Amino acid sequence: MTARLFLQVMSMEARRRMSYRVDFWINAVAGFVAEFAIVWFLWKAMFAESGADVVAGFSFEQVLVYYVVAILVGKLVRGTEFDGQPSEDIYQGGLNRYLVFPAPYFGMKYAQAAGALLPAVVQVVIFGAAWWLISGGAGMEGVTPTGTAMALAALALANMLYYMMAYTLHCISFWADNVWSLLVALRFATGLLGGLMVPLALFPDGLRRANEFLPFRNLFALPAEAFLGRTSFDAWLEGMVVGGVWLVVVTAVARLVWHRGQLQYSGIGI
Amino acid sequence: MTRYLRLYLYFLRFSFSRAMEFRMDFFFRVGMDALWYGTHLAFFWVVYEHTPTLGSWTLDQTLVFAASVFVSDAVHMTFFSNNMWMFPFLVNKGDLDYYVVRPVSSLFFVSLREFAANSFLNLLIAVGILVWALARYPAPLGAGSVTLYAFLLALGCLLNYAMNLLFMIPVFWMHNAAGLRDTYWGLGRFSSRPDGIYTGWVRRILTSVLPFALINSFPTRALFGDRPLEIALHVTGVTAAAFVLLVVTWRLGLRAYSSASS
Repeated sequence: MTARLFLQVMSMEARRRMSYRVDFWINAVAGFVAEFAIVWFLWKAMFAESGADVVAGFSFEQVLVYYVVAILVGKLVRGTEFDGQPSEDIYQGGLNRYLVFPAPYFGMKYAQAAGALLPAVVQVVIFGAAWWLISGGAGMEGVTPTGTAMALAALALANMLYYMMAYTLHCISFWADNVWSLLVALRFATGLLGGLMVPLALFPDGLRRANEFLPFRNLFALPAEAFLGRTSFDAWLEGMVVGGVWLVVVTAVARLVWHRGQLQYSGIGI
Repeated sequence: MTRYLRLYLYFLRFSFSRAMEFRMDFFFRVGMDALWYGTHLAFFWVVYEHTPTLGSWTLDQTLVFAASVFVSDAVHMTFFSNNMWMFPFLVNKGDLDYYVVRPVSSLFFVSLREFAANSFLNLLIAVGILVWALARYPAPLGAGSVTLYAFLLALGCLLNYAMNLLFMIPVFWMHNAAGLRDTYWGLGRFSSRPDGIYTGWVRRILTSVLPFALINSFPTRALFGDRPLEIALHVTGVTAAAFVLLVVTWRLGLRAYSSASS
C-alpha cells in the first residue's frame, strides 16, 4: 500500500468522523467530565481517609495529572474500537469489495482507524489545554521535550499494539456470531492492567513486576509516565522492547487467524 | 395484569430460543461480564491496599456495595438494556408503529420486549457474588436490614431503568440519541463508586436531580444501619417521581412521534 493511498483513506475517514459534531461534543465533554469528576472525588477521599500526603509516590495534584494524561492517551490508543471495523465487514459480507481492491485489507483498515483518531486528537488538544489553564501546570513539573518525545514514540507503539489486539478479536468473527463482547472484555482487562483505572504503582509488588512483562502496561501507563517524567530512559527503553516483542507476537497471531478465517469466509454475510 | 404476565412469558420464550441460536456469543457475554466483575473487585482491593476506608466504608462494606453494582447492572442488562438500545431505531425507522397499535401499553412493550437471555446467567453470577459478600461480612446483618436492602436495590434497578429511558425519550424530538445514550453511560459511572466519596453540590445532584447514588449506594447504606427509614423514604420518593416523569414525557413523546418520517 502506498503512503499516498494510506493518507487519502485516512483523510476521508477523518472528515467523516468530524461530520457528526453534536454527538461528538456531547459524548466527549460529558464522558471526560464524568470520568475526571469520579477520579477527583475518589482520590480526594483516599487522601483524606488514609491521612497520607503521598500515595504510591503520587501527591494529589500528581495523581490528577496522571489521570488526565492517561484518559487522553486512552482516547488516542483505543480510537474507535467498535465502528467500521473488520467484524462488520465479515458479518455483512462487505469484505468482498476490499478483497478485490488493489491494496491490502489490513492497510486500508489501519488507515481508516488512523483517520478516525482525528476527533480524539481534537479532544486531547482542547481538554489538555483546558487542564493546563485550570491547574496552572500543577503536577506537571517533570514534563520535558525528551519525555514528550519518548511519550510520542510509546503512544505510536501503543496504538499499533491495541489495534492489533482488537484486530485479532475482530478476525474471530469468521467463526463466531458476535465479537462485540470480546472487544468490551479487552477494554476491561486493558483498563485495569494498563493503568487507566489506577496507576500501576498502586499494585502490589509481585503483580506490578509480572505486569511489566505483559503488553498492557505499554498501552496507557508507559506513554503517560514518560510524558510526566515519571520513568527513566532505561525503564522506558525496556518497556518499548517488551511492547515491540508483544507487537510482533500479536501481529503473528492476527495474521494466522486472518488467513485461517479467510478460508471460512463465504462472502454472503451473516 | 395476567395478560401482561402471559405476554412477558412469550417474550422470554422467544428470547431464550433466539439466544440459543448464537451460542458462542452467549458464552462470550458471560465471560465479558465475569471479567468486568473481576476487574471491579480487583480495583477496590488495590485501592484498599492504600486506605483503611473509602467514603467511610471498610473493604467488607465496599465489597457488598460492589456486588450490589453487579446485581443492578445485570438486572438492567437482562431486562432493559437491549430495549433501550433498540428504542431510537424504532422511532427513527417508524417501527414504533407496530408497538403503538397493539392493545397493550406501548411503554411496557418498548421497555420489556427483548429479554437478554445471555445476561441472565450473569445475573445469577452477580447474585452469587452478592451472597458471598454478605456471607463474609464480619458483623451480623439482621433479616429486616437484608429485606429492606433487597427492596431498595430492586427500587434502584427500576430507577436505573426510568432514568435510562428518560435520557432516550428526547429522540422523539432530536432524532439522534447516540449522544444522550453515551452521556447516560458516562454519568452512570457515578453509581459504581460509593456515594460517601461525593461531597458538596455534586452529592446533592447525585441524590436528587440525577439520582445515581440511589441505585446502589443508598440500599447498601440502609443495610449497614445508616438512617434506614430516611433512606427508604428518599429512594421510594425519588423512584416514584422518576416514574411519573417518565410516563408524562412518554406521552408527550408519542404525541410528537410522526411515524416513519420521524
